[in-house]
Amino acid sequence: MPSDLTFDNVSKRYIVRHEVDDDATKHPWIRKLNALRKRRDEFWALRDVSFAVERGETVGIIGHNGAGKSTILKLLANITAPTTGEIVINGRLSALIEVGSGFHPELTGRENIFLNGAILGMGRREIADKLESIAEFAGVKAFLDVPVKRFSSGMYVRLGFSIASHLDPDILLLDEVLAVGDAAFQEKCLTRIEGLRRAGTTIVFISHDLAAVERICDRVILMRRGEVAATGKPREIISLYQQQIEPSRINTMKTAMEDDRAVIESLAFYTPSGLRPSVFHTADPLVARIDYVANQEIRDAVFEVFVRTGDLTEVCQLTTETSGNPINLPVGRGTLEFHCDEISLQPGMYHANVCVKERLASEAINWQYHAATLRVDPGRITRGQFYQSNRWKLQRQAHTATPPQSGTGEAERQPSTRRPSLTPTP
Amino acid sequence: MALSEADLVAAAVGRDGPRRTKVIRPVAFSIRDLWAGLMGLSAYADLLVVLSAHRLKIRYKQSMLGIAWAVIQPLALMIIYTLVFSVFTRIKTPGVPYPVFAYAALLPWTFFSTSLTNATNGLVSHAQLVTKVYFPREILPISYIVAALVDLLIASIIMGGLMLWYHVSLTPQALWLLPVTLVMAAFTTSCALIFSAMQVRVRDIGMAMPLVLQLWMFASPVVYPLGQVPERYRDYYLLNPMVGIVENFRAALLGNPLDVHSLSISIVMSAVLLPLSYLYFKRVEATVADVI
Repeated sequence: MPSDLTFDNVSKRYIVRHEVDDDATKHPWIRKLNALRKRRDEFWALRDVSFAVERGETVGIIGHNGAGKSTILKLLANITAPTTGEIVINGRLSALIEVGSGFHPELTGRENIFLNGAILGMGRREIADKLESIAEFAGVKAFLDVPVKRFSSGMYVRLGFSIASHLDPDILLLDEVLAVGDAAFQEKCLTRIEGLRRAGTTIVFISHDLAAVERICDRVILMRRGEVAATGKPREIISLYQQQIEPSRINTMKTAMEDDRAVIESLAFYTPSGLRPSVFHTADPLVARIDYVANQEIRDAVFEVFVRTGDLTEVCQLTTETSGNPINLPVGRGTLEFHCDEISLQPGMYHANVCVKERLASEAINWQYHAATLRVDPGRITRGQFYQSNRWKLQRQAHTATPPQSGTGEAERQPSTRRPSLTPTP
Repeated sequence: MALSEADLVAAAVGRDGPRRTKVIRPVAFSIRDLWAGLMGLSAYADLLVVLSAHRLKIRYKQSMLGIAWAVIQPLALMIIYTLVFSVFTRIKTPGVPYPVFAYAALLPWTFFSTSLTNATNGLVSHAQLVTKVYFPREILPISYIVAALVDLLIASIIMGGLMLWYHVSLTPQALWLLPVTLVMAAFTTSCALIFSAMQVRVRDIGMAMPLVLQLWMFASPVVYPLGQVPERYRDYYLLNPMVGIVENFRAALLGNPLDVHSLSISIVMSAVLLPLSYLYFKRVEATVADVI
């Protein structure tokens, strides 16, 4: 089998510019002058990465944020050039990165299909031939002559994916595209990708959605800090990734602030029914269980769980500090459970740190770094930084009696051209 | 059900024809890149057409006067300059009334200045696209030039009206408009490529553009004839490629003899500048997504 894609010792360096410290005591002109001499730092997003993708193969690339996945994609899509090394691409390559970024709100759906198609590399005739099919697939056929600014976000995203998936490339790059749209549309997308795959399209799929990676990929490459960490069967590599604990800078300073009055033995995530699945979904209920041992009696103890992404950004915290009665721990073992009704986290891999401390104390009694990994797959799909649980209610003022309608979670917005039929509640 | 649907897609996708092999390497600065760049550009010819049409559509979609804006700018400038240079002070214009004289030069000048003003921001204003999708980036600035070319055609209608009114007739000389416009488009493209690429790193370029264009206009024979420039400054003055372009555009339109000397300077400078500016642009393009 010939290789469709080859990465040969590819490295990519970014130059990061830092502002020189701003000293307020200096004259503004001196500060301006100082600002001109910015410090330049190098950052290697990829280092000597080599791999090949065979014709017709579907390869997934996974890894924490900052591991180099997106850089690989940008290099493949020719958006940026490598610093060293060589990339060979055999055939027509199309990237499906953040769909819909080329839409212009003032133009109609039809005009945007032509514009976006052309940007993605289709000829005008090719687009004209596929127009019908594109609109059909996106479900926006009735709105082709409506400016896209009147589209709902769902329609927007569906149209974007639909155009890009009609490219019929030899090689297709996919990046997190499945993290959008509703469940039915996602299924449709996966079906389409499956079809392209069966037609012999080579696919490179970069995603946090491990379930989708496992479902469509023949092989998975695990990236770690700009290097290829492992390659192999999806199941093996994904489980390797899930076990992989990112060694962090903070780990080294852990012993300094510990005493042995209490020790956290474990942190684990369960369902309310007591199961311990390897995967949770956005909007699933979740129980975080902490097992601890108290060697001395501790008054007014506080338990905290910190949830972080792979690049150590703190995304949320569970704490007993701000709710409920003060906790007094007698000597002995015990468990503490946080019950969450719905997970707000967007799909991804998260780490949790856990600690126990005394209220108002500056140092914790016991800290456990990366005590547990939390994998969240797409459940209830929303855009944005996190899922906001909600209930909705619609009231119509009509002459004929209509029963009030309500629901929970995301409601598919109708295009605003139709909106006049709904009257806002006072 | 899902399986059969996937099969349908599989059947619909054709898999024949030879494949093109593309090799991506770190940026170099060579003639081979020039050739590769042009080949890539030709593959995206349709995008240039669609994007240029898009520029025109967007511009007129939400404005009341619509397409009339293409005419308003040169017309307003012509009236102002006529007041200043023909009513308040008198500039001698050989043979033709001042409004015709000024408008004939404002046509190419407006093309040049609108192109540059828009194209300079061409890359920066499309940062969203540039960081997401690949296509030859030069299409962004060039599409503004194509759109300005359409504006030039529309604005020419007024020129026809003015010529009728003042009884200035079109001569076979007007055939020269085509090659002169070609030189102008080439020079404008070179400037647009250089400025839009520089604008990515140094945003001052865009800030300085209105001022630069204003000065540049007075350094070109738009509101006064080339003949009024003192002899001893003439050689330096002619180094500005817009001199030959504007002067000869007007000469061709009004049926005056061409000024071959200035035109040849413009041709040579454009011919040298265009490939160089393209190579420079391609070099910046390679990492533009990282810094934009």
